[in-house]
Amino acid sequence: MDTKIKIKSTNLNVFYGEKQALFDINLDINQNEVTALIGPSGCGKSTFIRCINRMNDVIDICKIQGEIEMDGKNIYAPNTDVVSLREKVGMVFQKPNPFPKSIYDNVCYGPKIHGIAETKDDLDQIVENSLKKAALWNEVKDRLQEPGTSLSGGQQQRLCIARAISVNPEVILMDEPCSALDPIATAKIEELIDELKTTFTIIIVTHSMSQAVRVSQKTGFFHLGKLIEVGTTEKIFKNPTNNMTQDYITGRFG
Amino acid sequence: MTKEQRLQKRYSAEKRFKWYGIISICMALLFVALLVTKVLSEGTSAFVKSTIEIKLNFDQTALNLPEKPTTEDLNAIDFYSFAIDQILKTYPTSNRDEEKELIKLFTTDFEFEVKDFFLANTNLLNQTVSFKITASSDLDQLHKGNYAKNISEDRRKISNYQLKIYDHFIQNNKITKVFNVYFFTNGDSRNPEIAGIGGAMLGSFFSILVCLIISFPIALLAAVYLEEFAPKNKFTDFIEININNLAAVPSIVFGLLGLGILLNVFELPRSTSLVGGITLALMTLPRIIIPCRASLKAVPPSIREAALAVGASKVQSVIHHVVPLAMPGTLSGTIIGLAQALGETAPLLLIGMVAFVVQVPANPLDPSASLPIQVYLWSESAERGFVEKTSATIMILLGFLIIMNSIAVYARQKFEKKWI
Repeated sequence: MDTKIKIKSTNLNVFYGEKQALFDINLDINQNEVTALIGPSGCGKSTFIRCINRMNDVIDICKIQGEIEMDGKNIYAPNTDVVSLREKVGMVFQKPNPFPKSIYDNVCYGPKIHGIAETKDDLDQIVENSLKKAALWNEVKDRLQEPGTSLSGGQQQRLCIARAISVNPEVILMDEPCSALDPIATAKIEELIDELKTTFTIIIVTHSMSQAVRVSQKTGFFHLGKLIEVGTTEKIFKNPTNNMTQDYITGRFG
Repeated sequence: MTKEQRLQKRYSAEKRFKWYGIISICMALLFVALLVTKVLSEGTSAFVKSTIEIKLNFDQTALNLPEKPTTEDLNAIDFYSFAIDQILKTYPTSNRDEEKELIKLFTTDFEFEVKDFFLANTNLLNQTVSFKITASSDLDQLHKGNYAKNISEDRRKISNYQLKIYDHFIQNNKITKVFNVYFFTNGDSRNPEIAGIGGAMLGSFFSILVCLIISFPIALLAAVYLEEFAPKNKFTDFIEININNLAAVPSIVFGLLGLGILLNVFELPRSTSLVGGITLALMTLPRIIIPCRASLKAVPPSIREAALAVGASKVQSVIHHVVPLAMPGTLSGTIIGLAQALGETAPLLLIGMVAFVVQVPANPLDPSASLPIQVYLWSESAERGFVEKTSATIMILLGFLIIMNSIAVYARQKFEKKWI
């Protein structure tokens, strides 16, 4: 497959107050691929993906240097509109966080505020499509008005994925989306990720090596705020060049 | 010390601690019970009043009416003389002093009671009906058993002659107790039998309304700004400390502020519930901001992130998600703040709401009292009749406070949502 670079980070440095969280990250994310970010806790994986949709903006003490380009445009340029950036870059969080509203309202919120749907029928269609893409439609189609919080953990996480794709983003960031889920729910989400990559570019942070192997085409290994090694998933897991990567994926530290 | 001894010691310490708790609760309940019994035993009798049944003969000639009376004729009737004539027929008197003593057993408002009754029932012309006139406060208190009869006459409010009339009325079953509507509809009065808390209730209502309209939006917006938008720096810390300090400022200081600024600088009308409400709003503002901020803080950050991540702007995430989720807390905080304002006396004294106001206020610009002020005013009055009214007013005030606090608890439970 012809690969095109969707997101390019150049010399990205992130500081929380005095403490530097990321050091000179240079990473290319390919379009319509799943990129997995692995590494021990506190190594900066989450910080990195939160830079891509500028979620770190809400943290007062967070300072960012360097560039992240999406489709060749620096998202930290002064004229970037954060709201339209986040419309293009959806995010799924570690803990399922549906709004305490109905399933329907959870999914239709994004399209509503962005004015994507003109009529109620359009909105219904978007909700149905998003839930279908998130493989949740069959389970909830008869109870769209029930609160989203009444679903099981795995269903809630798929609802959050449906909410993220409802605004038709180009990139989806997933911050350990399966860490709060049981193996069966995890398997469903992984299957889903595999399907979603045909439409979206996906970046997933994970603590599970096997998950990274299963879902991703490219893997980046972070350690103490530095990107130690990046390459195709096959290469990283079969033949890593760096000793630290070798140690981490074989479970000798981390 | 052996292991058994230590064990024994720990058990008895636990038992002791449990008993301290139980004793404390019993003490608290005892004080509540004391207050409630005192107020109930003194106040319940104020909800009924004694009336004296008299025969009213609406004779056309006695009323000085022409053959076909017009409305003007009816309004021109001298009801005072008419009512006195009818009252004097209830007991045989022999001289002017005895007549006076008889008349004094009836409310000073008897003229208006008869007038209102007749003008509402003009078809009773030339008929004789029996009508219950409100008794004077002295007879009322006597009938309710609040006056001792077996003390010397000069120390009694009721003379021996009046006692004789009273016994005569009792024998003929003329005195009955009825529900005291005046207590709820009338304004204040020097005569306890016609004094009511209607004016004070409306005054309190208008003050609280003004207070709510001013303090709730300001407090909510201030809390939302401080919690969601304000940068965390020395200046916002300073504001936060001052809001907390303001909540602890004695309420009388706010009264002085109202007096100095609202009355003297802006020259707003004195003694009105408008000024009272603004003063109470100043006092309530920090007390609402604090619970509002707490409930905003209690909304999990994941909800904000979820909204931001689908591309909601900061304002949208706050208005669509955070504020609605914080609503139960902000509402109950507001209601409890208003309940405190409802019971507040000191600031209102200073802005002149302590004035003696007979008229029931029609709008917040009319002079009026408020419920706690009414309690204060009546508790200072010498007349025996005001004692029960003071307690009854306290009961009404406590009733309103209980209702408001129950609404706060209900609102919190009803609208609270589980998000995780």
